[in-house]
Amino acid sequence: MNAPPARLGKAAAAVLPFALALGIGALALAITGHEPAAVYRLMLEEAFGGERRIAATLTEATPLLLTGLAAAIAFRAGVFNVGAEGCFYLGGMAAAVLGYTLPTWSGPALIPLALAAAALSGGAWLLAPGLLRARLGVDEVVTTLMLNFIAIGLTSWLVDGPLLARGSANSATPQIAEAAELPRLLPPTTLHLGFLISLALVAAYGAWSRFSAGGLESKLVGLNPRFSRAVGVDLARAILGAMIASGIVAGVAGGIHVLGLVHRFVAGFSPGYGFTGVAIALLARNSAIGVAVAAVLFGALSSAGANIQLFSNVPIEIVEILQGAVMIFAVAQFSFAWPRLKTAP
Amino acid sequence: MTEKRAVAVRIGARGVSRRFGAVLANDGVDLSVAPRTIHAVVGGNGAGKSTLMRILQGVDVPDAGAVIFDDRPVRLSGPAEAFSHGVGMVHQEFMLAPPLTLLENLILGSEPTGVLRLIDRRKAEAEANRAAALAGVRVDWRLKAGDAPIRVRQIVEILRLLYRGADVLILDEPTAVLAPAQIDELLALMRKLKIEGRTIVFISHKLEEVMSVADAITVMRAGKVVATTTPAATTVAKLARAMVGETVEAQRAARRAAAPVGQPLFSATDLVGADAVGFERLGPIDLDVRPGEIVGVAGVGGNGQDELVACAAGLAAPVAGKIVIGGRDLTGASTASFRTAGVGYVSADRAEEGLCLAASIRDNFVAGRERESKFSRLGLMRRSAIDAEAKQALARLSVRFGALADPAATLSGGNQQRLVLARELERVPRLLVAAQPTRGVDIAGTAFIHRLIGAFRDRGGAVLLVSESLDEILALSDRIVCLFNGRIMGEMGRAEANVGAIGRLIVGERAA
Repeated sequence: MNAPPARLGKAAAAVLPFALALGIGALALAITGHEPAAVYRLMLEEAFGGERRIAATLTEATPLLLTGLAAAIAFRAGVFNVGAEGCFYLGGMAAAVLGYTLPTWSGPALIPLALAAAALSGGAWLLAPGLLRARLGVDEVVTTLMLNFIAIGLTSWLVDGPLLARGSANSATPQIAEAAELPRLLPPTTLHLGFLISLALVAAYGAWSRFSAGGLESKLVGLNPRFSRAVGVDLARAILGAMIASGIVAGVAGGIHVLGLVHRFVAGFSPGYGFTGVAIALLARNSAIGVAVAAVLFGALSSAGANIQLFSNVPIEIVEILQGAVMIFAVAQFSFAWPRLKTAP
Repeated sequence: MTEKRAVAVRIGARGVSRRFGAVLANDGVDLSVAPRTIHAVVGGNGAGKSTLMRILQGVDVPDAGAVIFDDRPVRLSGPAEAFSHGVGMVHQEFMLAPPLTLLENLILGSEPTGVLRLIDRRKAEAEANRAAALAGVRVDWRLKAGDAPIRVRQIVEILRLLYRGADVLILDEPTAVLAPAQIDELLALMRKLKIEGRTIVFISHKLEEVMSVADAITVMRAGKVVATTTPAATTVAKLARAMVGETVEAQRAARRAAAPVGQPLFSATDLVGADAVGFERLGPIDLDVRPGEIVGVAGVGGNGQDELVACAAGLAAPVAGKIVIGGRDLTGASTASFRTAGVGYVSADRAEEGLCLAASIRDNFVAGRERESKFSRLGLMRRSAIDAEAKQALARLSVRFGALADPAATLSGGNQQRLVLARELERVPRLLVAAQPTRGVDIAGTAFIHRLIGAFRDRGGAVLLVSESLDEILALSDRIVCLFNGRIMGEMGRAEANVGAIGRLIVGERAA
């Protein structure tokens, strides 16, 4: 009976953080002597004005779709996994290594293999924190956060030593074989097949969460673990499953980023995609559509931000202010949007 | 406080209506509470008592009608404004901060301060003791609220209102969480406060208490006031009839003709159970429940019942001993294995364990069975099959609900419990572990749930019933086991059971 207002409230709660963040950004722009409306128009233009710019935005959104999805999968089951960043690095590394060590393989064999390796390394990385949480109740925020630093350090050491490309001074692996590269969708833009793969995975998650028994179980475990256990849901399995699935998706995100865009592994190649994914999942309240929309919006912010300082004297930091403000308001969870739900008799 | 004028209505309502979606929670409600009286508001679950109290306290705003303070209609902007009129409320769920001491809780929000705006603890303690003396109770103020017994927390809630100057106290089902002796203490405290000039609005559905303590009684049903009376002018039976709108069925479920036969379905041997922090509250005990038998476990709360229920429902592994269900040793097995073996479970904690209030009615109904082939194929749920069965089951149990997609939180307390029973009985369990199955449920709802449990037994089901209500134990049980300090003090058949004998056993006096 109250479905429409509840849905409206949800939409409002998702839009509000952006609106407030734009307000704060406008304030920052005005203080620094810029015209907020003009800057925002320029940003909108840079993010969505024309096919190429849209393609650039979607390219930026691609890793965010998957890191957002990785976070959403975990959060849905009440598992606050913040380890997507580390999995992103490991997945990227695994895909890159296979991509350049098997130059004789054909694309249709090599790409799935490389992505499978990325998935495996991401999933395996979170096995330990998953087991610790599911069996012993060890706080996953601490373990997954710390594992990020280990993953980042480990991969940088590998590309500075054993896996460093010959003749290269950068901390990077050799280029992957051409066959391993994901095809471009709209040459000459950088938009690649990985965007569609990511979108398909988000859609699959949407269907899974709505229509599958596992999706129901993960929701119930996230909402009320005591209840879930009492009706016979295997809590440990749901928690461990969510953690590993989250790691797999984050690993694939890194793999796709390597095969589709960077074409090799470079130390420090993620500007915090895994953490942005956390903000995206919170903003989306773990819904598939929300993840897609939020990922595109964050993608637009960063693609517009990169260009905006080329064409104006607006510092790129404005984008970081906007991103940070969105994240703060996203976490604030505007509960006033649905007060009626609680007071019903 | 405002100067005491002679008013006829200290607090009340005129034609108050409030609608939530399809439900008219309050429908033209009139209430007149005279100063210096105890006014009881009684009614079943979903009668609209809580909504009315929220409106009186300014938490909710009526769609039509007005709140009356001191004979005058007022528009309240919130609870703070109600408080400025001297009106305060003690909620069913206590609103104390568990990590703070009772003293800190008492003064929270209006701390007496000294130099440099620091809290003057000595002054606070003096004022706290003054408030306690006024109420005629003693409180160890240094105890943390989270560690204090429920009875003490409740008294501190009342004292907090007095401390902050309230002279109208709204008490929302204050006795629901108390043992009989504690209820008497609370009722005595209420009488004392009345003599001192306070006005009390007392919500309850325990009619004996209402008759003993109230000066006036307002009866609500389905959002309306159906009777306004006084204890002298009415009887418990009349009140009950007004509450449910029909004559209450005889409480005792029909006695089974044949004695239970066969191997026990539930069998505990040398069972020892511990609570969450490892304290062994139960056992060792031996207990069998056979098919076609309701075994009632009587006892004062905290004497090992929770641990017995947790072990029997497979929520916690026993510390020692053995649990056999349907011939299979399930000691230490998962909750899921217990349920597969045919154990149904009605939790005493409906809001936190019996239901997932934030999830839909549909999800609550199917939870735990979503992988059965009837409800899903290859991991995908069959929505139409689930909805069909949910609708049927909920209709059979006369659950009043809007849509299956509505959150379970939109149901009234009694309907929530029916939803729990619908889920658990649809699984066709062999053993039903029912803990406080009618706690917070009105008279008609209680009778209905008792009939359901009786019918389940008559179909050959085994029931382990744990209840703090002796009436419930006596109404349902074929065999009664009395628990004290974690041990079984005595056992009796239905025929020889009586309140006196059980009462002695559950406080630790051995049967003569």
